Amino acid sequence: MEENKQNMQEQNEQEKEPYSLNDDRRVKVLSPNAMVLQRFFRNRLAVLGLIMLLVMFVFSFIGGVISPYREDEQFYRYEDQMKEYVGVVRNNDFRYTAADGQKFDTILQAEFQLAVNNERDSFEYKGTTYEVLEEGEDLYSISADGTMLAIAAKDIVNAEGAEVSFDVKYGALKAYTNEEESFTANGKEYELDEEGNILDGETVLGYVSRFVVSSESADVVPSRVFKEELETVIDNDETEFTFVDEDGVENSYKISYDATTMTWSVKQGRETYVYDSYAKPNKEHWLGTDSNGMDMLTRLMYGGRVSLIIGFIVVIIETVLGVILGGLAGYFGKWVDMLIMRIVDIFYCIPSLPLIIILGAAMDAAKVDPSIRMLYLMLILGFLGWPAIARLVRGQILSLREQEFMTATEACGIRVSRRIFKHLIPNVIPQLIVTCTMSLGSTIIMEATLSFLGMGVKFPFASWGNIITDVNSAYVMTHYWFVWIPAGICLLIAVLGFNFVGDGLRDAFDPKMKR
Amino acid sequence: MGDSKEIKQENQKPLVYDPQYILMVRDLKKYFAIKGGMVSHVVGHVKAVDGVTFNLRRGTTMGLVGESGCGKTTTGRTILRLAGEKTGGDVLFNGKEVYDLTNKEMRAMRTKMQIIFQDPFSSLSPRLPVGEIIGEAVREHGLVPKAEFDDYIDKVMDNCGLQPFHKDRYPHEFSGGQRQRICIARALALNPEFIVCDEPVSALDVSIQAQIINLLNDLQEKYKLTYLFISHDLSVVEHISDTVGVMYLGNLVEYGETEDIFKNPLHPYTKALFSAIPIPDPKAKMNRIVLEGSIPSPANPPKGCKFHTRCAQCMERCKTEAPVQKEVEPGHYVVCHLYDE
Repeated sequence: MEENKQNMQEQNEQEKEPYSLNDDRRVKVLSPNAMVLQRFFRNRLAVLGLIMLLVMFVFSFIGGVISPYREDEQFYRYEDQMKEYVGVVRNNDFRYTAADGQKFDTILQAEFQLAVNNERDSFEYKGTTYEVLEEGEDLYSISADGTMLAIAAKDIVNAEGAEVSFDVKYGALKAYTNEEESFTANGKEYELDEEGNILDGETVLGYVSRFVVSSESADVVPSRVFKEELETVIDNDETEFTFVDEDGVENSYKISYDATTMTWSVKQGRETYVYDSYAKPNKEHWLGTDSNGMDMLTRLMYGGRVSLIIGFIVVIIETVLGVILGGLAGYFGKWVDMLIMRIVDIFYCIPSLPLIIILGAAMDAAKVDPSIRMLYLMLILGFLGWPAIARLVRGQILSLREQEFMTATEACGIRVSRRIFKHLIPNVIPQLIVTCTMSLGSTIIMEATLSFLGMGVKFPFASWGNIITDVNSAYVMTHYWFVWIPAGICLLIAVLGFNFVGDGLRDAFDPKMKR
Repeated sequence: MGDSKEIKQENQKPLVYDPQYILMVRDLKKYFAIKGGMVSHVVGHVKAVDGVTFNLRRGTTMGLVGESGCGKTTTGRTILRLAGEKTGGDVLFNGKEVYDLTNKEMRAMRTKMQIIFQDPFSSLSPRLPVGEIIGEAVREHGLVPKAEFDDYIDKVMDNCGLQPFHKDRYPHEFSGGQRQRICIARALALNPEFIVCDEPVSALDVSIQAQIINLLNDLQEKYKLTYLFISHDLSVVEHISDTVGVMYLGNLVEYGETEDIFKNPLHPYTKALFSAIPIPDPKAKMNRIVLEGSIPSPANPPKGCKFHTRCAQCMERCKTEAPVQKEVEPGHYVVCHLYDE
């Protein structure tokens, strides 16, 4: 027992002993960077921002690789396009057919019309009396002195092939109106079937119909069968029908009636090979297609790549210029500072948007290649953006230079280069990182704005900005949500992500922020 | 640091080097230009240090006292050539004029003369581990072979009361006293002969002050260091110093052995200053000499004796004629017309 107790005590002492107050194991040593990271990851919003950015990066840089489509691959589809095919008029005027060797001119036609309207059976013109004989419904014959001059009818005899003689026409019309199945003309027996076909034995001479079918274009010759079909459809007051023509091609037709001209216009639906533009989201195109028939999701991925790359390169240009010039101004002071800060002031006076728009227009005029244009865009944005960073770096260096630890390095006789790179720059970097992160967001917005205005990234390259360019009317906006909402969301997520991360970094770098 | 124009030196005999003195300062001047106006030209000078003369014996401590803004810190920094170019005077360190050295020679000289700053928080780079802060300059000057480097840093840290495992930590993990120890270690690591202690304890609380003062004393004994101890805390100065200099408005008004100065202050300003030392006895009556007015601007100091505007014993002569340094007793110098023969 006693031994045990002793052992226990010893053990306890052993356990206690290594943990003195100043023991290394008690306190976890954290470098300032590790502490910043720790504080950063404790900030939920910042982590959310980081996740958002990661998602956007994966989406843009890996998505483009996975996507089965190319950035500028266009898709086609067959579309039924309604085209004016024929016009159909139901004849309501008398049409006159003069007998062989006779004349029945317009004055006589007018006199006849008058007589019919007044229900007279004769009229006079220039001393001649003309007799009007009603042979059937809407069929009259006009004769003078016992000689038949002409017939007037609202039905029309259409010849199939050779011209039909007057007698046959007359006989056919007479038979048609009186619903007889045969007639005799010139001592020859003709038959008339239900559809109004005039048959000479087996051959079809022509047909009688009240409808006039006129084709809208010269190459369209509607067949007799089609016309018959059309007549029955019109009689049944239908608006749509399909018809299989001689070649076996089935087409759909739409009929619309125009009361003022008393015409039926017949439209033929034709399959056409077109860009698959504004396709709704489907299995092949998860987010539909844009106005050029390109896959929206793929465009978004490639657009993200372009937008992010432009953002980064612009910020890198800005930072390099800003750090060099701001650092020079801050470290050397005096006239160097004076000169550089005046340049900064001048840059602040440049209205950047008009300048970029003018340069964009100039590049349009010079027909600059889209990829080179993208490069210029980055350079322009970078050159316009550095003054803010230069000011920041200068201010930081000015204040750091007066800090006692900088005097201490001088007192210790440390090289100038080491003083700058080991002592000054590491202390500027926190603010620099925060500013750069924030400016990434605003650069992406700027690029999107320019691309939307058509001054930034141009076709065939996609960018989130120029994807939205398709939305140039309220119709597109309200009907094709998938054109602009996903791009807008991508922009939102990326910029929000950068801002959250920037805020998080700023809070993390500031030791006074305790969370 | 401000611009300083080299003011033409009066033709003086060159300062003769006396080996018993590690540092000889004669008539040291440091003016800071005031810029103003539309085209930013010099409109005047702040005469931060305006004629300081003293000699500092090897292995001793000189206290430099004075009220705030009288130029103590600038004197310290000017001696170390940390405040840009001097305006006038001579600084002989080990017989060499500090301001005549080339950049390369100066860098080598830096190891011999070091500084400890007042604020232990701003004087340590926040982004470097302590071991790097202490060892950086050692490596830079190649003072120790690489193999012995770690041991050397450990030894220096141990001398300053720091644990070896502190090496990997960062300044923000330390208290003010520990940070000041780090500053001392940084200075000590270069194996200097002379250290300017620029109010090293004024930012610390009293118990830590004692620790740091004792540490400085121990180190002085061990390494035969010479200190220029700048402070406005007279009791600390009395404790640590062998000689004391009293500054007023850029001038060293009185200078001598600590005992002499504290027992027998001669200059009216010194008298007033020392009368302000509290006596830890509630019954004792203090004969405080209360100075009237406030310290004049160093940009526009009074003519004649700079103290005449506040001096109780001011004479007509003081208003026009600037007094010169006189040795009233052996090793006790004063700048005052009262002691003119």
